[in-house]
Amino acid sequence: MKPKLILGVISIVLFTSLLMYNFGTSISTYVNFEQAENRTSSHVVGVWEKTEDYGFNNQTMQFSFHMRDEDDNVRRVIYPRPKPNNFEQATQLVVIGEMRNNIFYANDMLMKCPSKYNDPNEADFISAEEN
Amino acid sequence: MEGILGNLFVAVAFLSAFGSMVLYGLAAWREESKLLEKSADWLWISKGVFTVAASALLVYLIMSQRFEYFYVWNYTSRDLVQLYQFSALWGGQEGSFMVWIFMAFLVGLGLMAWTRKPYKKPVMFVMALTQVFLISMLLGWDIFGLKLGASPFRTIAQEMPNAPFIQANPDFVPADGTGLNDLLQSPWMAIHPPIIFLGFSMMTVPFAFAIASLWKREYHDWVRPALPWTLGANLSLLTAIFLGGYWAYETLSFGGYWAWDPVENASLVPWLLGTAGIHMMIIQRKSSRAHKGAIFFAILAYIAIVYQTFLTRSGVLAEQSVHSFVDLGLYNQLLMFMLVSAILGLGIYLYRYREIPSPKTESNILSREFMTFTGGMLLFIMGFVIILGTSSPIIGRLFVENPTPPEIQFYNNWSMPIAMVMAVLTVIGQYLFWKKHDWESLASALITPLLLTSVAAILSIVLGDVRNIYYMIFIFVAWFTVIGNGAMMLDLARKNPKMIGGPLSHIGFGTLLLGILASSAYNEKLLDQRMQNYNNMVAAGEVYDEQGFPVREKAETFMLELNQPKLVANRYMVTYEGYKITNHPRPDQQQYRIRFEPVDGGRTFYMTPDVYPMQTSSTADNIEWSVEPHVRTGLTSDIYLYVAGSAYVEERNQRIRDRRNIEPVAGPNGTEMMPEVESDGPQKIKFKKGEPVEIGPYTFTFKDFRPADEESLPDNTVIGVRSLIEIYHKPTDSAYEVEPLFAVYTQDGQSWTYSPPLEVERFGLNVSFTSINPDEDNIEISFEGLQDEYEEDWVVIVAEKKPFVSVVWLGTFLLMAGFSVSILRHWSREKNTKE
Repeated sequence: MKPKLILGVISIVLFTSLLMYNFGTSISTYVNFEQAENRTSSHVVGVWEKTEDYGFNNQTMQFSFHMRDEDDNVRRVIYPRPKPNNFEQATQLVVIGEMRNNIFYANDMLMKCPSKYNDPNEADFISAEEN
Repeated sequence: MEGILGNLFVAVAFLSAFGSMVLYGLAAWREESKLLEKSADWLWISKGVFTVAASALLVYLIMSQRFEYFYVWNYTSRDLVQLYQFSALWGGQEGSFMVWIFMAFLVGLGLMAWTRKPYKKPVMFVMALTQVFLISMLLGWDIFGLKLGASPFRTIAQEMPNAPFIQANPDFVPADGTGLNDLLQSPWMAIHPPIIFLGFSMMTVPFAFAIASLWKREYHDWVRPALPWTLGANLSLLTAIFLGGYWAYETLSFGGYWAWDPVENASLVPWLLGTAGIHMMIIQRKSSRAHKGAIFFAILAYIAIVYQTFLTRSGVLAEQSVHSFVDLGLYNQLLMFMLVSAILGLGIYLYRYREIPSPKTESNILSREFMTFTGGMLLFIMGFVIILGTSSPIIGRLFVENPTPPEIQFYNNWSMPIAMVMAVLTVIGQYLFWKKHDWESLASALITPLLLTSVAAILSIVLGDVRNIYYMIFIFVAWFTVIGNGAMMLDLARKNPKMIGGPLSHIGFGTLLLGILASSAYNEKLLDQRMQNYNNMVAAGEVYDEQGFPVREKAETFMLELNQPKLVANRYMVTYEGYKITNHPRPDQQQYRIRFEPVDGGRTFYMTPDVYPMQTSSTADNIEWSVEPHVRTGLTSDIYLYVAGSAYVEERNQRIRDRRNIEPVAGPNGTEMMPEVESDGPQKIKFKKGEPVEIGPYTFTFKDFRPADEESLPDNTVIGVRSLIEIYHKPTDSAYEVEPLFAVYTQDGQSWTYSPPLEVERFGLNVSFTSINPDEDNIEISFEGLQDEYEEDWVVIVAEKKPFVSVVWLGTFLLMAGFSVSILRHWSREKNTKE
């Protein structure tokens, strides 16, 4: 009984520490565009800056747009795939990639969607009488 | 008015559940009270009746489009088809709680009818307790500033009392709702939630039984009735996970059926823990061992469900998941629910821990008990790893501030080896389960399956050109699972077909592993020659962007021009044949037609992906386009394709941009008049030899060059040539050929071009040959008198070939079938013991 128990405890401790170590290295932290300058891979949260140009370039096959991060830095983001399905609907974007020369090269992008689960927008209301 | 009634229904249902809980509790405490138990039963039924009444009322409000109710306004709209109007009942947070409560009511009725003596009252007590928490989420009470629940019957005025339009007019009724998200308008998604809530409700049953067994100190018999319920819960969850995965694959353009999204994980973990529980219950039932494990996992599976409910509905995951809910102010209530379930479950477990029977002797490694137990533990470990990853916003704080979710690799790296060990154990476990073996006899029994496995694995590796050693082992192990369990199943089927549930589920598991590896590791992007070359250059580090940085991301798209075939993936001649506006099921929906011709002579087929404007979020000034991929399902591989951009969409967007820039001119009837496009002057069109160009009713083809005769040429001609142009007029089915002249001559030391127009009287056209572009290998012809603009038509395509997705589905179906067989077997045994 005894040696088995010790063996069990050791393997559990080993397993857990390896798991936690790996977990710790595979998560990262959210930063803003300025902090991203000095990192090789960053997650940046922000919103799409609609006033700037955006679109998919058929020559380079890249989608480019501007994003405003949570500290109000606006940067151009280049995403190497077509515009994701509900990009415009997203109330929040997370871009994952690298900052180079003030341009963020995203290799992945997550969208906080769909709008259905969000707080209603008062502008969505159209009065029955006006209609 | 109806709103007050609805709130009343919810309140009565809540009080009934509360009363039912108290009475069941008392009845369980004092054994002798028949009256208490009867009253508790009736209160449970009353809870169900009022839940049904409240749901029916909500459906009525949705169907009659009463947009003054926030829920109706927020989740439906007038243009929604009836199926989705009905499914809006569970489209939102509040309504989905209602469906969950309803399902739990049905499960409770079943328990009432079928549960035997020592367990029924405490089991129903736990069921009622969970209902008290769930219904409290719908109350919408405000007790001295303490908000309890969010009512589905609240009006817009109650939801937003400070909004200016409410201040101006408290009886304000919106004309239309905001509608259901377009992506959720899929039949798969319409039936997904009720099935998942049925699974959640059934998973409450083992939890309730485990607690009842601890309460009543009856540790043996509870697994008999609990086992079929747990199997049923797992079958429901698996079905729901399958529907979700299928939806993600078919409807979303994410390109796969599984993305390790927190919400997906949150439904997988209860399934894994439930399955772990099933393994423990089976040993307890069969060998009277593993009581501790069985009770523990029965409790844990339900806690996992409540925990996932907390994660997805409290807003904790808001930044991480595509489909988490925004907090409705239920954070504290959900946290309470979770804590109470966990403390009650684990507390009573620890309290009774020493009393729970444990085996006197250690079980041999080569025993069904040990193998099944280990299988259960591995399932638990897998669940634990996934919970850890999903909980990164909470647990990740140990490592960094503001943690992100783990990389996908974290999940893959851990779950793959665990699954591989599990796979091997399923075979050994099955062999030991039905017959006693020592090492020697086991080895000899496994020789044939191992030989067959080797053949199958080597064939797959050679045919699939697998080079990765890790994948080779994975393939071997997965085949071993399929073949080993298959042999066992054949053996059992001959004796008693009712017993094949276990091996059948394990075959499903092995099949699933094969499908997952093939479809995710051997996924191939289909690209044309140009993009393949581009990607090769990217791989070699030879591509730089405008900023001078090397480009590292490979391209995944290619472009097709109308009727210009391209060789794709060295295998298909792919041609874009145009689009049509189908207006179905949404206005302005387009369907594109893309022809695939296998070069090796296979059968030609068409892909017809759609693009549509999102109804819920598009406005006249801003159309948000969404795509519907076309998946061509095949036995050995699927082709997955969508249109990422097209000339039509581009032109629509351009028109909107133009309109925004040029103030629209009001027409006589208040209609907007678009500024007319200039259509005078010749249209210049470039032609390649042999490639037809369609403009309006005409098809023009540049067939060849023709020599020009001396007389028609000006003096000092340097070059003089004619082109043979065929003009085909579709409506009259008539063809005509012209040979316009192009010449370059010198005069006064300068070069001039000479392109005399030729008149085609029957069509009212003037054709002239205006330029030759040797670099681009084309010529330019100008037309005068064409009514229609020549429009370039093109699409940007994303296409993938995914091998053996069908095998993933097959594995899932086999798992479902295995569970179903087991449910029947355990259910009939349970019924027989009763009588």
